[in-house]
Amino acid sequence: MKAIMISFDQAHYDGVIAALDRTNVRGFTMMQDTQGRGSKTGDPHYGSHAWPSMCSTIFTIVEDEQEEPLMKRLKALDEDTEMLGLRAFSWTIDKCI
Amino acid sequence: MSLYEGAVKRPIMTSLCFLAVIIFGVFSLAKLPIDLYPDIDTNTIMVLTYYNGASANDIENNVTRPLENTLNSVEHLKHITSSSKDNVSVLTLEFEYGYDIDALTNDVRDKLDMVSNAMPTDANQPILFKFSTDMIPILLLSAQADVSQKALYKILDETVANPLARVDGVGSVSISGAPKREINIYMDANKMEAYGLSAAQVSNAIAAENKNITGGTMDIGTQTYTVRVEGEFTDPQQMNNVIVGYKDGAVVYLKDVARIVDDVEERAQRTYTNGAQGAMIIVQKQSGANSVQIANEVRSLLPDLQKNLPSDVKLGIIVDTSDNIKQTIGSLTETVLFALLFVIIVVFVFLGRWRATVIICITIPMSLIASFIYLYATGSSLNMISMSCLSIAIGNVVDDAIVVLENVTTHIERGSDPKQAAIHGTNEVAVSVVASTLTMIAVFFPLTMVSGMSGVLFKELGWMMCIIMTVSTTSALSFTPMLCSQMLRLKKKQGNLFRKIYGPVQRSLDKLDAWYEDKINWAVRHRWTVIIGCIAFFLTSVLAASVFGLDSEFMPANDSGRVGVTLQLPVGTRVEKAEEVAKKFTNIWMQRYGDILEVCNFTVGQAGDNNTYASLNSNGSHIISFNVKFCPSNKRKEKLSDICDQMRADCKADLDLDRFIVLLGGMKSSMGGQNTASFEIYGYDLNNTYDFATKLADEFRKSEFITQVNVSRSDYQPELVIDFDREKLAQQGIGMSTAASHIRNLINGSLLSYYREDGEEYDIKVRYDVNERVSIENIENMLIPNGYGQNIHVRDIATVRESSIPPTIERKDRQRIVTVDAVLASGEALSKGVELGYQICDSLDLPSGVTYQVAGSYEDQQDSDKDLGTLGILIIILVFIVMAAQFESLTYPFIIILSIVFAFSGIIFSLMLTGTTLNIMSTLGGIMLIGIVVKNGIVLIDYTQLLRERNFGLIRSAVVAARSRLRPILMTTLTTILGMVPMAVSQGVGAEMWRPLGISVIGGLTVSTILTLIYVPTMFCIFGGVGITRKRKDMKENMELDAYWKDNKEKELKFIEDEEA
Repeated sequence: MKAIMISFDQAHYDGVIAALDRTNVRGFTMMQDTQGRGSKTGDPHYGSHAWPSMCSTIFTIVEDEQEEPLMKRLKALDEDTEMLGLRAFSWTIDKCI
Repeated sequence: MSLYEGAVKRPIMTSLCFLAVIIFGVFSLAKLPIDLYPDIDTNTIMVLTYYNGASANDIENNVTRPLENTLNSVEHLKHITSSSKDNVSVLTLEFEYGYDIDALTNDVRDKLDMVSNAMPTDANQPILFKFSTDMIPILLLSAQADVSQKALYKILDETVANPLARVDGVGSVSISGAPKREINIYMDANKMEAYGLSAAQVSNAIAAENKNITGGTMDIGTQTYTVRVEGEFTDPQQMNNVIVGYKDGAVVYLKDVARIVDDVEERAQRTYTNGAQGAMIIVQKQSGANSVQIANEVRSLLPDLQKNLPSDVKLGIIVDTSDNIKQTIGSLTETVLFALLFVIIVVFVFLGRWRATVIICITIPMSLIASFIYLYATGSSLNMISMSCLSIAIGNVVDDAIVVLENVTTHIERGSDPKQAAIHGTNEVAVSVVASTLTMIAVFFPLTMVSGMSGVLFKELGWMMCIIMTVSTTSALSFTPMLCSQMLRLKKKQGNLFRKIYGPVQRSLDKLDAWYEDKINWAVRHRWTVIIGCIAFFLTSVLAASVFGLDSEFMPANDSGRVGVTLQLPVGTRVEKAEEVAKKFTNIWMQRYGDILEVCNFTVGQAGDNNTYASLNSNGSHIISFNVKFCPSNKRKEKLSDICDQMRADCKADLDLDRFIVLLGGMKSSMGGQNTASFEIYGYDLNNTYDFATKLADEFRKSEFITQVNVSRSDYQPELVIDFDREKLAQQGIGMSTAASHIRNLINGSLLSYYREDGEEYDIKVRYDVNERVSIENIENMLIPNGYGQNIHVRDIATVRESSIPPTIERKDRQRIVTVDAVLASGEALSKGVELGYQICDSLDLPSGVTYQVAGSYEDQQDSDKDLGTLGILIIILVFIVMAAQFESLTYPFIIILSIVFAFSGIIFSLMLTGTTLNIMSTLGGIMLIGIVVKNGIVLIDYTQLLRERNFGLIRSAVVAARSRLRPILMTTLTTILGMVPMAVSQGVGAEMWRPLGISVIGGLTVSTILTLIYVPTMFCIFGGVGITRKRKDMKENMELDAYWKDNKEKELKFIEDEEA
């Protein structure tokens, strides 16, 4: 199983949920308002006067075979609208109850 | 869920909520009455006290003064004026605006009860009378008749006046110019003397004969009959055979000593319309009723009434005050629609997207329509103030919607889904949208608290703007995002046609951006040059205003097309002469003005006792009052004030006239009349004050720009005084009052009996024939019965001499007063007249005990200046507070507030260039500008600060922010300016009233926007630079301190330990 953290501009919400649905990922945990900035490009998302936009973050644990299609979909979503910003990171899950 | 999120997610609910608002608004609009001004409450109470037989002086001392002293303590009293004439004292109490007149009336009544014991025993109970502008007639109808002329009064009274009086809201209907029928019995003095008869005998004989008497009841068989003696005459000529006395055993009939004339009353007003004689019907409205509604109803009744009239009687309309109101509101509606069109064009040009333009177009009317609900709920009307308010608001309501729309579009262009873009885009700007609305409310809310005359005008404007702004913000945060989410799409490919049309616009806007960036780049590097330039500009405007002088007045004259003219011939001139003069003037004016003169109506003569309208105005055989109506102002070239000046020149040229008043608008009021400099001269000595007043008036008359001067105190009136010799009266066995009443009967006629016909009663008046009452000798030769039944001549017991009676004594605020009114020529400002008046007063010797002061509309103007000045300061403080709260800084609000001075420079220059005066409307424009100008500054500073937070350098943030905010600022400014353009250039009816408002807003906003765009970035850099220097200094000091601490840490610590030990 893989854990995937998706951090995205709030405007991507519908797209990210659609991507999860399309890849049959049912479970996820979401943090509505998160702040952050990209390592290389992209505007900071602070929800402040200077940088008003905000991020949301979704954690989802998927089967190994689901990881690839989901990441592909998310990448397509990000490439479609580069200005908004979306990043996803995955790592292996050792154990779960 | 936030407001905008909810709105975007529930589009049906949101649109239906706003649809409901629109439906209510349209419903209210349909029900709203139309009027010229907002409802101005009655603020005047008159107290009339009759004291028969007392002279003006006695009245003043015994009635007026005690009343004044007591009533002076009534709360909220502004002025107390009085006029004491023979037999009557009239007190006028003027209260501050905005208080309940009914409560005040009760206060006055209580005070009157307190003073009743101090009044002379013969004086009648004081009568209270609420007087307001509502008493001014709203409709003057003419009735022209041919053969029915003599019966005109009866015909009009029954078939026109009575039905009209039943119309809802009509206060009273009076008829003037149609004399009533009267049976005149003219006695021949010589025959009376020959037969030894007195007038009393004759009238008693007629009264005794002209009677129906019941003789009780009688039973005849099974029936009961009433017995009646029917002695009343059925034909006036039957009176010829009445036996009035006996001479040498022979019977003397009435026909032997008198002639019977079945005609109309001797002294009556005559009315001519466009040269033809007829009657005038005056319709007055009830207090609080709506003029336009009543006029419409009366107009719709007229065709039916005409059907019931004899064929030769024609009804017409002389003056309909509702015409002017309807046309004024009509042309104002036009300006509002034009403003709407201009705003839409600006929005389209700047946004370049038709969908966005449609969204804005939908939101504008919504906010405006919501304000109609307020008007309807408060019982107000569609008037000049509320309509101007709409015109002003159009430019402002789009601002919020545009800010939201722009940000949502940015999000969509970044790739967001429209729904998400609408929610997040709105979320980002919500705070600044609310803040900018708060600044506007900070400007307009204090307007609702203004008192006095200007308060009446501003209260409604303040509330309406607050409501409109609130609704527009609510809609910008809910309805606009909802529409954005539904309508906006990312346009991936533009159409060819669109590119062709919009391409050049886009290119020129880009060029403008680049040019502006270049200039700002220069400005922020030459900060002090720019600031000194700005200060120099402001000082130039102040200097220009003080050198060339900015003319001021209270309110611009309203061109209603109506002129009221009162001509006064020397006192005692016969009515025939007055009629001749009036006809001469009618001819002159009708020939000169031709087509543009619609109605020229005049009334001459003494009014009867039962004419309420006439009794409120001065009338007499020597007074002529004209009602002249010209076509609407947009259909003629001459201004009404110029026409008035020409008419005054005619009056001046006529040597027959004693005095004349040409009144623009037909009524005296502080709003919308021609500029009049009123000087009040106070002093106890009647001669001193009158002398000073006449001197002042004479000097005024010499001036070129004064076209008419009136002194309020009239001349001494001639009278004939009969002095009875009391000894001789006693010898004749007759009392003084009996003798006096006999003489009164011979001259004025004795009324002891009425002639009845068709249920109507007509007076039977017995008196000497007309030609026997034309000289002093006639009076001396009059016969009156003495105590022994013999007739004696007046000359045997009395002497008759000519004399004159003192004029009315006028007082204001418990001091005797004479007012000098100087009307200024068309286009001359009030301030000029007042200045001249002061100069004249200084050059004249002021007698001791005489003081003077300026009053009238100049006083109103100064009151309102004071009010508005305080208001201006209050508004600036409030706006400062709102901005300081928003920026969490005191520096930025200070920079922005300073930019207001450029708006004032702009107003000064625009008023000077267009030759407009500084009046209440242009001042209002200035006050509104505070809010609008500040908005531009806020947008600029806000974005510059944002860039600073994004770690941009000081100069770069100023330049980049200026460039990126140029378009939004230009767009919001242009919507406001273009929204006002129709107001400023409008030529419609009543345009002269709101033109100054448009001009001052356009001038002030243009200048202030241009200067703000340069000044604000520069000031930002100056203050930012100072801030950076200070920060550097602090940092340097801190570093030095740290270095010192590092080196001497142990030494310092040891010192502290020693101290503690």
